[in-house]
Amino acid sequence: MSKRKRFWFWFCCLAVVSTALLLWAGVPLVQQYQLGVFVGVVALAILAESLLIRYPLRPEYNDRGLWFSVSTPVVIAAIIIYGWQFGVWLDAVISLAAGLLTMQLKNIHVRWVFTNAVQSVPSAGAAGLVVALVQPEPLVGLQTLGVLILGLLAYMLVNTFLVSVTMAIVEEVRVRWVFGQTMLSLPRDIALMTPISFLITAALAAYGAVGLIGVLAPYLALRQALVIAARQQELYHQTIRSLGFLVQRAHPYTGGHLQRVSQWARRVAEQLGLPPERCELVYEAALLHDLGKTVLDEQILNKPARLSPEEWQEIKKHPQLGAEILCDTPFLSPIIPWIAMHHERPDGTGYPFGLKGEQIPLEARVIAVVDAFDAMIGGESPNQHRPHRRALTLGEALTELDRGAGTQFDRQVVQTFKQVVQEWQRRRAAGAKA
Amino acid sequence: MEGAWWAVLTAIGSMLALAYYAFVAAPARLHRWRCEGLRAFARLIELRTQGRYGRSEPLAELANAVALRMGLPLHERRRLELAVYLRDIGMVAIPYGILNKPTALTPAERALLNRHAEISASIAEQIPGLWRVAPIVRLHHVVYSENPDAPLSAHILSALDDWLRVAENADVDTAASVLKQGIGARYHPMVVQAILSELRQRSLDGWRYLTRSAALWL
Repeated sequence: MSKRKRFWFWFCCLAVVSTALLLWAGVPLVQQYQLGVFVGVVALAILAESLLIRYPLRPEYNDRGLWFSVSTPVVIAAIIIYGWQFGVWLDAVISLAAGLLTMQLKNIHVRWVFTNAVQSVPSAGAAGLVVALVQPEPLVGLQTLGVLILGLLAYMLVNTFLVSVTMAIVEEVRVRWVFGQTMLSLPRDIALMTPISFLITAALAAYGAVGLIGVLAPYLALRQALVIAARQQELYHQTIRSLGFLVQRAHPYTGGHLQRVSQWARRVAEQLGLPPERCELVYEAALLHDLGKTVLDEQILNKPARLSPEEWQEIKKHPQLGAEILCDTPFLSPIIPWIAMHHERPDGTGYPFGLKGEQIPLEARVIAVVDAFDAMIGGESPNQHRPHRRALTLGEALTELDRGAGTQFDRQVVQTFKQVVQEWQRRRAAGAKA
Repeated sequence: MEGAWWAVLTAIGSMLALAYYAFVAAPARLHRWRCEGLRAFARLIELRTQGRYGRSEPLAELANAVALRMGLPLHERRRLELAVYLRDIGMVAIPYGILNKPTALTPAERALLNRHAEISASIAEQIPGLWRVAPIVRLHHVVYSENPDAPLSAHILSALDDWLRVAENADVDTAASVLKQGIGARYHPMVVQAILSELRQRSLDGWRYLTRSAALWL
């Protein structure tokens, strides 16, 4: 099934579920409650939904990131006070209305507005189910807090899952990665949203729609907090990306080498069973493993002829220089040892420290294997004519890795890497057939 | 109704916590992250030029103190600190041979080297969170008599950059006298005043700590 077909299949499934939910819920909006409450809640929710926040993903997945908004607390509060039918309808109405309003401004395609709407209804339904299961006895009390947290959790989990599946279909990445990435911020988001949701519940219960005016200021504070959190995330990715550009500029790599190396490295790390956030760090470390070369003289790096021993000494400094560049940047500190040791060899003949076997971190061994492999198949400099080094084929390169296993490369990593390559070949062959 | 009171108190307390987080703690942390990220770039330049350019750790703290002394508001001080880290980033675009030339530079090479401020500023302009820092970075070698209307932060950076270079090559007193000679010509008079009084204060503080600890031991 093509990407387009998969997307529309997924969209139609979601649309059917959402429509069924909405029909089942009936039309509770205007009949049961006063018009004032309805207008007030919808206005606040639309405001909340319109103040979109851009959550940056890794640029590799999606350059524009993920737009999200903070209407969830309003929806949960509405579910607690007015029941799940109201919540489901509210969520459908506001995500459609706010989406259509902000569509032009944020340059979003109308297809995403509808996708967002059909994703939000099952999420609200899940939250409603949870709240209905543990209906709090006094409507506003300390127990409400617990119910709120459960409701928020249900909503966020279902919504994150649905969004992840959509992202995975559109961007052709694995569901697990996107889900894992967005899950990392879940505890913080719930901690930020719970007080607001509680306040809205209390205001609605005590004063009706008028109480919502008092909620506006805290709402903006919440949005500010989320914006800053998103910016911090963006800063992290931007720093890595800019450093990556500098590495690319310093050394005549063609664009693909670093990206390919990092993707292989992450796949190997996953195959080795490292936890997801560790795999992401391996990706970043592989992207920046030659950071130290930005410090060296371009004339030595770009020299077409063989290097003299002094120049070779100079080149051999680059792992340590790379580590030194990052030593004042605590948020990148986990990858420093991997960068410093990516030229170590298990038999102890590598540089700069001459470590052996298990003394070298696993991640550094992974980067060493993957980097060597991509250089062997000619990915490092395909446009450069090298008389003394001819590009090998895939099979030859794997045999070469096998020969170096135990001395130049780590045996376990080479084994895993071969599995990854075989799986990739199989998938590529299947793709070529289809 | 007891439950209601608890609810109100909890709500107000959590609102205060949220406001503190959103407007004080989180921006401060974001700024610290920015500085840490930019420090990697400054360190890169420092290593590439054997420590001649891009020194920023001693400067960032001193620039902040001087700006505080001159009454710059918090956001201006933060921008100044970011400018300290960003100012020499443009050196990545300048060939290694010119940056590390052991002999004196020719006028053409000097002109090329002097373009680093412009390059750094245009790099800063590309980055969404940093475009406001770009004017300071562009003018970080500003001469007071040529452009007295430049932002105060740029004047601070210009004076402190020269001060640091002289202080590391010669000594602190020579550096202070260089600043004094340039008052009104090369450096902003108020800025030089602030820097000198900050430095004097620091040397006094140093003595005070010394005597205090000596008194403890006696």
